Amino acid sequence: MKNSLWSLYLSLLNVNYGWSAGKYYYIKKRQRIWEPIIIAASIGPTLVMAVWFMWALTEQLFLGGLAFGQPHLALVTGTLMVSILSLFFGFFYVLSAFYFGNDLPLLLPLPLRSWEILVAKLGVILTGQYVLNALFLLPMGIRYGLLAQTGLGYVLSAIVVFLVLPVIPLVIASILAVLLMRFVNLSRYKDKLTLIGGILLLVVVLGSTYWMQESFGTDDPTALMEQLLSQADGLIVAVGRVFPPSVWAAQAMAYGHNPQGWLNLLYLVLCGILGLAILYLLGEKVFMQGVIAGLEGSRGTGKRKRLGANQEAGNLFVTLVSIERKLFLRDPNFALNGLVGYVLLPVMALLPLFGQNLEKNPFATLNLGEINSLLIIGGIALFFMIMTSFSMIPSTTFSREGRYLWIIRSLPLSISQIIGARVVAAQVVNTIGCLLGLVPIAYFFGWGVLEVVFGTVFGILLASVVAFLLALLDLSRPMLDWVNPVKAVKSNLNAIIGTFGSLALGFLLGLLFFFNRQTGTLWLIPLELGFVTALFAGLARLLVTRVAPRLWTKI
Amino acid sequence: MIRLKGVSKRYRGASTFAVQDLDLEVRPGEIFGFLGPNGAGKTTTIKMIVGLLKPDRGQVSVNGHDLAMDPIAAKHSMGFVPDKPDLYPRLTGLEYLNLIGDVYGVDGPTRTRRLDHYLDMFQLGAVVGDLIQSYSRGMQQKLALTSALLHAPALFILDEPMVGLDPKSSHLFKEIMREHVKQGNTVFFSTHVLEVAEQLCNRVGIINQGKLIACGSMEELRRSPGHAGSSLEKLFLELTDEGGFYEE
Repeated sequence: MKNSLWSLYLSLLNVNYGWSAGKYYYIKKRQRIWEPIIIAASIGPTLVMAVWFMWALTEQLFLGGLAFGQPHLALVTGTLMVSILSLFFGFFYVLSAFYFGNDLPLLLPLPLRSWEILVAKLGVILTGQYVLNALFLLPMGIRYGLLAQTGLGYVLSAIVVFLVLPVIPLVIASILAVLLMRFVNLSRYKDKLTLIGGILLLVVVLGSTYWMQESFGTDDPTALMEQLLSQADGLIVAVGRVFPPSVWAAQAMAYGHNPQGWLNLLYLVLCGILGLAILYLLGEKVFMQGVIAGLEGSRGTGKRKRLGANQEAGNLFVTLVSIERKLFLRDPNFALNGLVGYVLLPVMALLPLFGQNLEKNPFATLNLGEINSLLIIGGIALFFMIMTSFSMIPSTTFSREGRYLWIIRSLPLSISQIIGARVVAAQVVNTIGCLLGLVPIAYFFGWGVLEVVFGTVFGILLASVVAFLLALLDLSRPMLDWVNPVKAVKSNLNAIIGTFGSLALGFLLGLLFFFNRQTGTLWLIPLELGFVTALFAGLARLLVTRVAPRLWTKI
Repeated sequence: MIRLKGVSKRYRGASTFAVQDLDLEVRPGEIFGFLGPNGAGKTTTIKMIVGLLKPDRGQVSVNGHDLAMDPIAAKHSMGFVPDKPDLYPRLTGLEYLNLIGDVYGVDGPTRTRRLDHYLDMFQLGAVVGDLIQSYSRGMQQKLALTSALLHAPALFILDEPMVGLDPKSSHLFKEIMREHVKQGNTVFFSTHVLEVAEQLCNRVGIINQGKLIACGSMEELRRSPGHAGSSLEKLFLELTDEGGFYEE
């Protein structure tokens, strides 16, 4: 007999990563064997590239830092990168797993303490984070160790750092989520407040990160560099000040052989323990109140609503579009994950306008102010297409329905009507999101109105036909058996294939545009965009009329 | 076994109570049927007993444990089957049962013996190694019943337990309920099927618009003024349409 917390953790891990489901389908039933092959083929090259990137980056930063006597600049960059990623994306996972899982009504009547449910769920997220962090930290740690010719102290410190580092951002994300939901779940408008609160939290985190970098030192770059280089580890502290545990982690590893390193390791471990203690207390005092309040729902006012003129029959297609848009935007898990890119982009573009100098705008390094108008149009079109797949709205349209898909399947609607409405709904949201990002960027670079308008038109057309293909992909293998709604979007293979597919298409079209520039045939760009759009539109039409009805009946 | 004292619950934004000033006592060794029309407050009451909802007022205690003060001890003494069991679809039946066994601390030999017994009884033995998502609704219901019985709870709480069961399983299940109370345990269940309540229950309670309007054995209810000799169905229709009757 296993300990109840351990047993719960293992079961949730199994559910989350689908071990039993994999064994059942791939080994016992010998079905869907092509799935792991597709997963490996679509993710494998990215993993190899990520490992290679970290290996090369570590070497560059090591050698660059060595020139200033601070070679562990490589370590702080890696630890900071994984910490910020964990904090950022961990928030969505935590929010969804803690408060929106279908399993809460199953777990609550069991004799489990609130902190046990909280810790088991956090443990599952942490396990996934270890796997992700290994991709970044292992190549970084090994390359640094080889370059610096480190010893046993480094290896032992690195192991502790690897185990403790992701705990801190995830605990911070958990504390933010628990506090947010404690208040939000008491409201009748909890879904709207979760969405707004989540977005505001992200903007605040991003803003404070930027502010901490901006507020460092002086306006004079030369004086600032002298200041950073004259202090011991000045550069490391400057880079890591956004998230101090990343500095402790880097110094614990770099000085793993002496008391300075051990002291930093102690700071890191104590910070992790303190965070877990706060989370334990919140788990006992606050978590369950938020969960129960969330399950409660509301029952209306009890007054009979007067049905007035708005009950007139509407256009079927408009109704289908409107329902799809509402179902997406009203679920904070779907909306937060789908819209995060659209929120971050304008924030990243606009924040520096409030800072000390415009050169610090992340887009400034791209030097996009002086390029040819046709290239701008092509670039905007690709931006629309790639953001459409990043939002995952069309590529998860059927998966998001989960066990409620029967509702739409039982209605007298053709699949072409359904797909059409879903793509239109997705593209309304995607277009508004893209424009929110595009307008500040265009303003920043001083692009002309006509360039933006033509780019937007080409972008909407190209993105829409790609959205059709993404929706068809989801129709061919919808993921309907999720427990945690975030899994329907973030862990959905359709979304991953769609994202990588559109990135590959964007890369190929980008290469073509580059070739146009080199050969002086930039005038071909609108024709090329038109040709690709028409080609995909024909393919989508063929698939919607010939293949989709068969797929629809097979689900 | 179950004691509700002045329990009230009003959902957010609602002007009326889902459950209002509910006093109810379910004694050890009885099968208690909880009846009422749709939206009467049956599921809300059950959710408050199992800890899925928090009452606004009043006290819920199970087997002598106050649910607000000592929820873990209270939950240890009960097994619950909801009206729509949402079990982990990507676990196999056996994995799910082992999770529940671990949470309730059921030792290996006892677990094996009870699982053999219930899996045979519900004819789940052949599919227990399959994923739950491949089960029919009835099979999921049987698995939920097995999991709730695995730790031999002193109190067995069921929300609409007969929904989704085939006639054979339904019959078996009634036998299980009878056997369970013979051993000194208690069964509390809600149902719309009045015949089942009539056949099985030692006592029934009828709730309407959040208030308990009748409570007692079938004989006691039939002896109530104006309802002499009525069937449970007639009694139910009359009571939910008018005032009520409560036998202390």
